Formats: sequence, structure tokens, C-alpha cells
Amino acid sequence: MKSKIWYGLLAIGILLGLWNAYKVYSVGFTLYAKTDVLVWTLPLSTYIFFSLTSAGLAFVSSIPVVFGIRRYDIIEKRTVYLEISVLLGSFVCLILHLGSPLQVIYIFLSPNPSSPLWWLAMLYHVYFVVLLLAFWRIHTKTVSKALGVIIFLIAIGTSTTLGWLLGMTDARPTLNASFFSVYFPLTAFGSGIAAIILFSLVQGQLSDKASAETATELYDELARIMGLIAGVVLILFIWRTIIGGISSTAEEFRAFKHMIGSISYHIELWLGLVLPTVLMLLPAVRKSAWGKIAASFLFLVGMFAGRLEFVLSGVIRPLGQMAEGRPEFVSYMPTVYEFFVAIAGFSVMLLIYTVGTKFFKLETAPKH
Amino acid sequence: MPRYAMVIDRQRCVGCGSCSIACRAENNLSEGVYWSHKITETSGVFPNVRFHYLPTLCNHCTNAPCVRGCPTRAMHKLENGITMHDPKKCIGCRYCMINCPYGVIYFNWKDGHQFWKDEHVLIEGATSSPAEEVRAAGGKTTPYYNPKNSKAPDIRPKGVVEKCTFCEHRVRKGLLPNCVEACPADARMFGDLDDPQSTLNQLLGKFKPFRLKEALGTDPAVFYIRDFSAANYPRTKGAA
Ligand code: SF4
Ligand code: SF4
Repeated sequence: MKSKIWYGLLAIGILLGLWNAYKVYSVGFTLYAKTDVLVWTLPLSTYIFFSLTSAGLAFVSSIPVVFGIRRYDIIEKRTVYLEISVLLGSFVCLILHLGSPLQVIYIFLSPNPSSPLWWLAMLYHVYFVVLLLAFWRIHTKTVSKALGVIIFLIAIGTSTTLGWLLGMTDARPTLNASFFSVYFPLTAFGSGIAAIILFSLVQGQLSDKASAETATELYDELARIMGLIAGVVLILFIWRTIIGGISSTAEEFRAFKHMIGSISYHIELWLGLVLPTVLMLLPAVRKSAWGKIAASFLFLVGMFAGRLEFVLSGVIRPLGQMAEGRPEFVSYMPTVYEFFVAIAGFSVMLLIYTVGTKFFKLETAPKH
Repeated sequence: MPRYAMVIDRQRCVGCGSCSIACRAENNLSEGVYWSHKITETSGVFPNVRFHYLPTLCNHCTNAPCVRGCPTRAMHKLENGITMHDPKKCIGCRYCMINCPYGVIYFNWKDGHQFWKDEHVLIEGATSSPAEEVRAAGGKTTPYYNPKNSKAPDIRPKGVVEKCTFCEHRVRKGLLPNCVEACPADARMFGDLDDPQSTLNQLLGKFKPFRLKEALGTDPAVFYIRDFSAANYPRTKGAA
């Protein structure tokens, strides 16, 4: 009964996505909170949230395969499968963000290697194929170290290319921070750990049996690492705020002032970084399954808000002639259709993951 | 091969907006899309204030960040310096809009000219709806399109970005961009930067030009010269 309700909810989420696609392509992208200034909004930030989480899962999956730390074997299969699910969720959001997704074929037919976006697109295509192969190998035979190394390298590539993508936008100083090239891989790793803790432990709790996985101390270790990452990111985050706050460039200073006034900034700071750090510093909380679940959930919520905050920080200030007749900062509130995109992305991801838990025995350790 | 550029003489420009209207007509632009636009500013403290008007368009930058970042080369440079856009290759990612420092690229959020599909009648029994007008005129979508424009689409396509093309379709035929043609004050000059004798180069030699956001190194091909001010002020020994 419970699973029927679950599948029903996911089906509704996917139907909302299909309805959204139909409406957007028949009526137009005006259904999103569109202005000519806010060209990147919730659909894209959700895509970035998913894609960085999948890169983070790739880092986690590399721990046993690339670095040979075998006690992580037990989560390897689940991590790689979750990576595929998350990546597919990201594709849903990307497709619903793009104006002409069918023309993506020109990424191959008319390549532009000077574009970081072209590199990202190429990396994701290869990544997806390699991931499928890697999972198939784990499921049917043994772990492939070569595929594991490729996945690890691609994850470094995707999470840092995003920094290049933003670093190129010289006209938008808020995006143009080398900060992002460190911040993205680090938060990606944290998100990957949070995701695997959350999915494994929630499933363990729901299935009402202390599975071998939840009994191990592995999750305590993962929770410690996640807490550490949240703490390190918190320090980076505070420095970014201080640097913005004392910036002598009027533009940066005003953008900073706007940023610290936004809801998403505070969700990322307090829910996503401060709380998980504190929770994971408390041994009693860290050792309890629900404590770990709460901290990883909060970290992911914070990252979701953080991706939106950074996308908006780059676009809310109209440039050049776009500023004509507009305020210095354009305000943003997602429309119901933009929420549908995010819901569809999550529904696809969760559906694929749920199907995997039923059919692929994700709790088994792969052979080497 | 010429290297096209534009000089806008702000002393001649009267801020009438004919360039924008001409651009809309030539390129069949939809509501809310301004390939040719303006930046207006006021300076001073009341009652001593002035209004400044700066016509804007794509700067056809030599070092164009929009082109560098486009993943499919939909945004590309022609040999004659024009920054062109191919809607067939555009995936609608809007990265060029993020990259362009001048805010001159527009995403077509919906099908163009939705107004002409409107069945709403303003006064029942007295006026006709836009859609009825189109049907009466025998048109399929909009009642007008520009027959001169053979390369770019006549109706602006949805889901891709577009921007000023220096009216490449006209320039190819030896015509001037329509904004230049339409300017009643002859404030816009269009010509070849590589021809030392061109009027364009004569103007750039005579008046110190400026370009928008030059510090970014985009090397824009739209130059502004002079400034409009009919004002004068009494000579003093410097006490102000
Ligand atoms: S003004 Fe903007 S759109 Fe035009 S060439 Fe320069 S960067 Fe590209
Ligand atoms: S929106 Fe189109 S032209 Fe602009 S970068 Fe993307 S593919 Fe290129």
C-alpha cells in the first residue's frame, strides 16, 4: 500500500513535468518567471544542484575503486546507481530549461571548444555512457577500475568546468570569482556524501530492519566527513561574504548587500552549513541514524538554495541597455511552472532510484 | 573584405527613436524585443539637471564573449566583422546573454506577434479582432513580413536568442542598415574600418571616440563621438 502511494506521488510529479513541457512548448517560456534579465532561474539552478550532487556521488564512488579504501565497497553499487538517477533528474531540468533542446545535436555537428558549456555538454554525454557501463559491470561481473578512474576524472572536470563557465563572464563580477572553482567541487563532494547517507539510511529506517549497511560504522565516518566539509565550506562562505562586504567596488558591494538580504542565502548559510556542522559536532546526534538523516537532508536543502542563490546573484542586476527602465536589482519569485520543473526532476530521480532498489540489490558489495 | 563598424554622433542624435522603429519594422520584432535600443540617464541636481540619450545596439565586438561561449557556434563572427546568429543551431541555453556585457541579446520567449492571434473584440459589433483582421487580409500568421530579408527568418522563431545583425541581409546587397537609413538627423554612419579613407575613419580621426565598457577588452565596433549640449556658461576665474 505504502509503495503504491509512493509510486502514485512520483507519477503525479512526472505528469506535472510532461504538462509543463507541453505548456512551455505550446504557449512559450513566458510561463517561467521570465524577464529578459532573469534568463537563468530555478530550472537551471535545479539542474546545477543535481549535476553537482552526481559529481559528488562520483567522488564517493571513487573512494573504493580509485583509492582502494575497501570498507566503502558496501556502498559502491548504491552510489553509482544513485549517481545515474540524479544525473537523469538533472537532464529533465536541463531539457525544460533549454529553449530548443532538439538542436542540442549541434553540440556534435558544430562544436566550439572555446566554450566551457561545450566541454560540459561533452563531458556529460561521456559521463552518462560511462556510468551506465560501470553500473552494468558492477551488477553483472566485477568493478572496473578503468571506468571508475574515468568517472572520477570526469567528475573533477564537470565540477570545475562550472567554475570556468562562470569565470568567463567578465561583465558579471559576482559570478567571476575563482571562489567557485573551489566551492563547487567541495560542495559537490559534500552533497554526494549527504545524498548517499540520506538514501541509504532512510531506506534502512523504512524497511524496519537493521541492514548490514546501517549497522556498519561507515555512515558515522561519512557523517563526520560531511560535517567537516560543511564546516570548511562555512568558512569559505563567510570569507566570501566578508570580501564582498568590504569590497571597494561599488558594484560588488551593492550586489553583496542584495545577496545577504536574500532568503536563499540564509537557507544555505543557516540550514545548509551552520546546522549540519553543529549537528555533526555532537557525538550523540552524529551516531544516531536520524541525526545523520537530518544533517544530510539539511545540507542538501542548503545546497539546493545555494545553487539558486548563486545563479540569481549573477543575473538579478541588469546590464547595459537591459537596465533601461528597470530597478538596479530585479526581484525573483519562481512561477508554479518553474516548481513543476524541479518537482519533475526529483520525481524522475526518485522513481529511477526506487526501481533500482527493487531490482538491482543495491546493498550488495561488488566483486573486485 | 571590409570590416564593418558604426559611428554614432551624439551631437546630431536628437533621441527621436526612429532607429528603433526602423529596426522593428525591418526585422519584424515582437513586442518587448529591442535589437536597437537606448540608455538614458539624467545628471545633476534639480533644478540643474540634464537628460542624456545614448542609442545602443549590438556592438559587433571583435573579441566577442557571446561568440566565445556559444557551445554550438550559433553565435558566430562573419569575416566582415558582423556578429551573426544562426537560429537553427541555437539550443536556447542563454549563455550568450550571460556573457554579453551590453545586454543586447534577446531570448524569444514565445511565438512572435501573438497580438495578431487575439480573437478579442474591443467593441462588440463595431470593431474587429486582430485575428479577424489577419484573416480578412489573407495572412496566415502576421499581416506583414519583410520580403527583403531572405537569410534570417521572417517571423522571429521561439526558443532561441536573437539580436541586431547590422542588417546583414541589407548590407550584403549594398544597402545601409535600416537604422542608419532611417535616422532623420544622419547621426549614424556605417562603413569600413579597414578603409583608411572611409568617412568612418575620417570621423574617428577627427573626434575622440569612445566605446562602451572598453576596459573589458571586447573591442566593440560601435563608436560614439561628440556629445550633445547646447548649453553655455559664463566665464569666471574658476570659482564655482
Ligand atoms: S555586443 Fe554583446 S552580442 Fe554583440 S558582439 Fe558584443 S558581446 Fe556579442
Ligand atoms: S542561446 Fe544560442 S546563441 Fe546563445 S550561447 Fe546558447 S546556443 Fe549559443
